[in-house]
This record gives sequence, structure tokens and C-alpha cells, in this order.
Amino acid sequence: MRRSKWAADMSPHGIAFLVSLVVAILVVVMVDRLLRPALRGLLQEVTGLPPATDFYLRAFAIVLVLVALAAVMGSGHSDLKDGARFMEYVWAVASGLQDVCQNLLIVLLVYVALVTVLMAALRRKL
Amino acid sequence: MSNEHYLIGSYFLFAFISLCLGVVVYRVLRMPFAAIAEAAAGKLRSTLLKRALAVFMTLAAVLGFLSISYTQKGCINYEQVVKDRSYLVKVNQRQLQGAANWVVYAVFAWAVVVLLCLVVLRSREADRQTKPEIH
Repeated sequence: MRRSKWAADMSPHGIAFLVSLVVAILVVVMVDRLLRPALRGLLQEVTGLPPATDFYLRAFAIVLVLVALAAVMGSGHSDLKDGARFMEYVWAVASGLQDVCQNLLIVLLVYVALVTVLMAALRRKL
Repeated sequence: MSNEHYLIGSYFLFAFISLCLGVVVYRVLRMPFAAIAEAAAGKLRSTLLKRALAVFMTLAAVLGFLSISYTQKGCINYEQVVKDRSYLVKVNQRQLQGAANWVVYAVFAWAVVVLLCLVVLRSREADRQTKPEIH
């Protein structure tokens, strides 16, 4: 009862923003969980230096979180009016999620390029 | 709270949050970066690199915050800015977005610096292995 009153007090923009934020966090956690073990193994093998592995893994997590946060902040949800229907909320969240996925994809491509350069540069010296 | 009060309060609050974002990212990366920098560049130069990392991260966050203009580079005046609360909230969101984006660019730039440090370390190791020891 109290939760529904709290939700009713919030603006449609606020509700869509919060839901987008939660979904973006879930996507980031999922991507991180999926890639981290393999990335750790690869970095350990290529660099052979635990602090370097640690640095690149931390940088990976920071970049994922900040990019998702920036995408959620950037998606306006401004087309939502008071009394918006359920599907309008879904479309607003989906629009925000599109920005999150697009930015995550770009960042992952940059990271893959970086790791490739890392492998090429360090393998040659072995 | 009037829109003008909100503008003043939120501007300084979000400036502080952006600055904190840079500091937090620096603190997360500081320990592993310090170890790499010390191994590659020695103690004296590693201190310089660590301070450069701190300055770079905080400046990147502040730059991202400052890159957002309330007046859209002079296209709208102060009265139009304070008229609409939702516009002020949107600008605050864009300030955070700018700070986050610039910190991401900075992290990638420092990842390249770490890559260079690793290349230096690896070539030093290779030199040590190929050169015969002189007694």
C-alpha cells in the first residue's frame, strides 16, 4: 500500500529513470559476470604481472558501470506524460536500454582492441 | 524551493559529485597502477605517474561536468533557464553523463599508459635474458 502511494507520488519520468537504472545495472552485472573469468585468465597469461591484470579488470568494471550510468542519464524519457499507459513506460525503458546496449557495445569493442594490442605487443617480446 | 535556489544548490552539488567520481575512480585504480609504475619506471618516476593519474582523473570528471552549458552556449537567457525545473534536472543529468563519459576516456588513456609500461618491462626482461652477465 505504502509502495504504491510512493510510486504514485513519483513523476512518470522518475519511474522510467529508476527502472532503466535497475535494468542497466542488471545488464552490466551480467556482462561482467560473463566476461570476467575468461578475461582474467587471458590477462594473466599475456601480462604475467598480477597488478596489471588487476588494473585492467578494475578498468573494465569502471568503464562498464560508467558507460551504463551515462547512457541512463542521457536517455531523457521526456515523452512520458502524467497518466502514461504501461506500454509507454516499457517503450521509454526500452529506449534507455538501447542507449545502454549501444554504449556497452562500443566500449567492449574498444576494450577488445586494447587487449588485442596488448597481446600483440607483449607476445612479440616473449 | 524555488527554481533559482534549486539551480544554485544542484550546480554545486553535481560539481562535487562529479569531482568525487574522478577521485573514486583514481582510488580504485591507484594500487595496481602504483605497482606497475614502480616496476616499470622506478620509485621517483612512479610518484610522478601516480600524481598524474590523480590529476588526470579529477580533471576529466570536472571537464565533463563543465562541458555542459545551461544557456546552450548563449542561445537561451537566464530567465528561460530558471523557468523550467525539468530542464534544470535534465541539465544535471547531462552533467553527470558528461563527467562519466570523460572519466571513461581517461581510463582508456591510462590503460594505454599501462600498456606502454608493460612493453618497457617486457623489453627490459628480454634484454636481461639476451645479454651475458659481466663479472
